[in-house]
Amino acid sequence: MKPIVSLENVTVVYENRIALEDVTFKLVDPAFLTVIGPNGAGKTTLLKTLLGLVKPVKGRVIVLGHDVLKDWRKVRRLIGYVPQRERIDPSIPILVRDIVLMGRIPRVNPGFRLVEGDFKIAREALKRVGLKEYWDKPFSHLSGGQQQRVLIARALAAEPNLLLLDEPLSGVDATSQEIILKTLKEAVKRGVGVNMVTHDINPVMEITDYLLLLNRKVIGFGKPQEQIKPDKLHALYGRRVEIIRMGETCYVIGGDAHA
Amino acid sequence: MIKALIASILAAVLSAIMGSFTVLRNLSTMGAAIAHASLAGALIAFSLGIEPTIGAAFLSVFFALIAAYSGEKSGEKMDIVLGVTFGFSAAIAALMLSLTREYTVAAYSYLIGEVLGVTDDELLLLGVFAFSSLTLVLLFYKEFKFLTFDKEAAEAMGVNTRLFHYLMIVLIAVTTVVELKVVGSILAVIFLVAPAAAALEFSHSLEKMVLLSILFASLSAILGVIISIIFNLPTSPTIGILAAGLYLLSLILSPKKKCCKI
Repeated sequence: MKPIVSLENVTVVYENRIALEDVTFKLVDPAFLTVIGPNGAGKTTLLKTLLGLVKPVKGRVIVLGHDVLKDWRKVRRLIGYVPQRERIDPSIPILVRDIVLMGRIPRVNPGFRLVEGDFKIAREALKRVGLKEYWDKPFSHLSGGQQQRVLIARALAAEPNLLLLDEPLSGVDATSQEIILKTLKEAVKRGVGVNMVTHDINPVMEITDYLLLLNRKVIGFGKPQEQIKPDKLHALYGRRVEIIRMGETCYVIGGDAHA
Repeated sequence: MIKALIASILAAVLSAIMGSFTVLRNLSTMGAAIAHASLAGALIAFSLGIEPTIGAAFLSVFFALIAAYSGEKSGEKMDIVLGVTFGFSAAIAALMLSLTREYTVAAYSYLIGEVLGVTDDELLLLGVFAFSSLTLVLLFYKEFKFLTFDKEAAEAMGVNTRLFHYLMIVLIAVTTVVELKVVGSILAVIFLVAPAAAALEFSHSLEKMVLLSILFASLSAILGVIISIIFNLPTSPTIGILAAGLYLLSLILSPKKKCCKI
């Protein structure tokens, strides 16, 4: 079976320092992978490596069966990407529909117009994140959580095989958080792989299939129950982290708030 | 006067559209640097006996590509690259101005524009530049929009952002060439930026910003030509002052600014 994501001994040097070192893990099924680690652990670099935006100095990266170094164009067209919302300039005048439709642009050849089918898919994507009635609204009029949902709708509009999300729950209200997680869970059920980088593991613990503990090197990879161990979290954050178990779920207290 | 109005409207429409992208992508300094390069190109061509508009187009596109490439290679240090490009192109322009002293009047027309003196051939060339640029903008409008709003996601999702970034820079360069005869190199950047910046104050969508920007730029250009004829004033500075005035007025009347007042 072709792996969704496979990294073999990947080392990445970014801005003259080692951002990832000998990273190896493999995800075979379309599943929900959560990546956690402290600030500067290389989480965003990992996403950029999967997209072929950053080239490893060593190792091999396979995404959706393609070698990213060779087939990065093909890979990117199969991915829906949600960047950190803080990077977007809120002063740009743009409507919600324009943003969601951007998800369709890579599916249409340059110079050609979007057609009715693209609009239908974009509307459906916006409906999935519970913002159907916001189609014609200015993006700047939305709350932070709603803006994040629009960015997720854009990624869904691309009809991706893999979703990559960089801190999608950062600065998001409880309602939006709930809707985002529900949307991502549904995406996994439809066979879409989800790789999400987050500083707070607790909200996603229940829907996480695999957990990657990353601090430049892989500290741990596997089922969340196997990875949420005091020694591993100590190795990840470099200090003691408390774990509270409630039934099947565990909660991490004192992990890096901005990990 | 008709030729002057046609040239002004051509420049206004193209400036308004490219100005919107220039403002939103913080490329105003690059616009200024390119405008000086187009002046240098016009003066070099003029001294060589070549059509100045062709020289302006060649050198402005060349400088634009150099600036874009250097900016790409230097990452965050874009302001340094632009500072050097700006200074270098201005130095060449100043050098050429001093060397073409015997043709000072003609050279001066590229510095501050001379739209009332535009010839049929010049108008035809401006029309060709303007219509080709507008066609390219219309063709790749959706890619330009994605690039402007979220370059990182556009690149990550398979849009050739490098190609479209370079194309946008080249189109900004061509815009300054079209502006050269109308408002001159000194005022090119204000005509590029002011109408778009004014439109931004009243817009919640890119399309509305572009349309308002066209309206403001055309208004400045048409009124500038008419007022300058009636009061016997130089046309380009009149257009420039009107464009700047509209921007200042937009800041006062801006609903976006009002909403944030306590």
